[in-house]
Amino acid sequence: MPITVIIPTILRPLTNQQKHINLEGNQVSEIIDHMEQQYPGIKEKLVTGGNAHRFINIYVNDNDIRFQDGLATSLRDGDVLTILPAVAGG
Amino acid sequence: MNNALSDCTIAGPFKNAAAPFAATAFSLFYQASALGLKVIDNSDQNADGAFSFTFKAPHTKPVNCVITGWSDCAQPDAVSENIIQAACGLMSVHGRSSGTIQPLGLHYVSTVTAALALQGGIAATFGQLRGLALSDSHISMAAAALLSTSQYIADATVVAASENLPPGAGRSTAPPFVSADGVVFELETLNADPWLRFWMQLDISAALAGKGWTAFLLRYAKAVAPIPAELVSALAKLTYLDIAELCADTGMSICRVRTLEERVDNEHFKSEWLRGPWAFDFAAPHPVMPLKPASGSLPLSGLTVLESCRRIQGPLAGHSLALLGADVVRIEPPGGDPLRGMPPVSEGCSVRFDALNRLKIIREIDIKSPGGQEEIAELARHADVFLHNWAPGKAAQLNLDYDDLIRVNPALVYAYAAGWSADGGAYAQSPAMPGTDFMVQAYSGVAQKISQACGTRGGTLFTVLDVLGGIIAAQGITAALLNRQLNRTGARVTSSLLGAATLLCSDDYQNRHRFFGIATPAKSLLNQVFETEQGKIAIECCDDDTLQRLVQTLGLPADSRHKYLQQLGGLLLSKTATEWVAILQQAAVPAAVVAGNLNNLQCDSRLKPHLQPGSYTKVTSPWSFQ
Repeated sequence: MPITVIIPTILRPLTNQQKHINLEGNQVSEIIDHMEQQYPGIKEKLVTGGNAHRFINIYVNDNDIRFQDGLATSLRDGDVLTILPAVAGG
Repeated sequence: MNNALSDCTIAGPFKNAAAPFAATAFSLFYQASALGLKVIDNSDQNADGAFSFTFKAPHTKPVNCVITGWSDCAQPDAVSENIIQAACGLMSVHGRSSGTIQPLGLHYVSTVTAALALQGGIAATFGQLRGLALSDSHISMAAAALLSTSQYIADATVVAASENLPPGAGRSTAPPFVSADGVVFELETLNADPWLRFWMQLDISAALAGKGWTAFLLRYAKAVAPIPAELVSALAKLTYLDIAELCADTGMSICRVRTLEERVDNEHFKSEWLRGPWAFDFAAPHPVMPLKPASGSLPLSGLTVLESCRRIQGPLAGHSLALLGADVVRIEPPGGDPLRGMPPVSEGCSVRFDALNRLKIIREIDIKSPGGQEEIAELARHADVFLHNWAPGKAAQLNLDYDDLIRVNPALVYAYAAGWSADGGAYAQSPAMPGTDFMVQAYSGVAQKISQACGTRGGTLFTVLDVLGGIIAAQGITAALLNRQLNRTGARVTSSLLGAATLLCSDDYQNRHRFFGIATPAKSLLNQVFETEQGKIAIECCDDDTLQRLVQTLGLPADSRHKYLQQLGGLLLSKTATEWVAILQQAAVPAAVVAGNLNNLQCDSRLKPHLQPGSYTKVTSPWSFQ
């Protein structure tokens, strides 16, 4: 099940500067595990304590996984998984 | 009132400033009075194209401080508050959420300019005591405005490929919200969980709440918040009381948009206004106070500032001190501040982050660990300033409060850039009210002031209080450093977003209480943005003479305001904004093409001296010293 993962600039040093990666997986967590196998070190940038890191937003298509099933959010063929660091002010 | 600089004097034509500088002069008079300075009015020494004042401390030479409209003193284009707002992009950022480019409705640039000008005078005097021959300090309103928008300029000008921001930015139903009983209010949370719980209680689907969350986060980054209409409608069916109860149940925060009168008439807030936006607490005089000579040409060179701050207000304060020459050591968590990844990114770092932190030395320390706290205390032992913007109570939890650090370094200036209150009001302790820009705008009356001027529901998504809060934090620190040199005492200086809000409304307080011996700036006779054949033009006539020049130049009927406004709108459609600006500036009528795209600011020759092109456009120091 090919899923396209869009990598933010800040994480591209870990992915040999690749902006897009195609991976197989049925859940967001599987995709992250597969990414970790190919690009060691990326998982700790995305996951902490079994959840997505507070400062990282992960979208499946246009939907934030925090408002779905978190890392257990299921994926379908052709889905686009976007990783985006948080924005903040204050 | 404070007595931080009670031995110092400021002198200038505060009560008779030329119209474009009247709001700056008023704010300077207020700020200087609140700092305890002796204020001398020299109303006979006035010039049209600039505003000058002198700052003098005991045993130093007077520093001549000059404020101009543009950085180039010879630039003849007439200015005003709103002409600078138009030319420097403030109107554009403010207008993003409503879709209408218009003035902020505040003397914002004037207030920022006054704070920076006063800080320049204080810093130059401090530089004299440290061995520098500084006698002049210059700042322009344009430079002050560009510093205020530096993060937005960074975002707009980044050369690298743009990030894939989530969809939906643009015209929108931005907060504040309105309840069924007509109460206008802000919601706030820094976490997604309370947000989801709140909307689920209102039968909003998780997916829709998620889209709302994405939109909500865009407020800070892009000054837009395209909240789905379903969310706005759900709130419009409930009373404010019901919504407030729901917030309490789900961990969301709520604040209604209060009227300015509620604060102006309140005795507590009146006393905060009289004190000014800083609270100083001086340590006992120390017999051996270090006098570090300047190590470079800038007034704070050779001093060390230790900063543990997040987001905008605190980092901007540290950035200002770095622009004045200080070595700023920024403490970040192990692995670095996550906001370094905040899009857009260039050369491995968020440009919005870099705009406020590029001049700093980074130290990664775990402030939650005893070892990390010891390391910070050790760094503070040799520092001149410690600056943080932690949540209320956190400094004590970390054993890094004022009492902890002044013990290891009695000469330290300990600065807290807070959200709510400079002296820890009751609301400061309430976790239900996070002190963020938009909540403080709502609470303080600033949002209502903006809404009245702009015809919108609430305040601005341009982070006016974070920026001004950072500037007054740095200003208070600079005052405390000079006081340290004059009186051999360390100090705690606390400032806040709420204090910044009060500063922005100081004319309203003065109109109500008439405490200070100066009139508030007159309202402009004409202050509007018009469509032209190509582009928008901002025109401001601060006084009757200027208005008459406009009327004569354009051949408008002079007998009726209604008539000339009607004709003016139509007439301006016959030429481009650029052509009209040339005609009006020739007649000394303040006018500017409204900058819509911040990427174009670097093409304006009047702004170039403060913009440094590169992977993104950096805003350079607003001060020049001689």
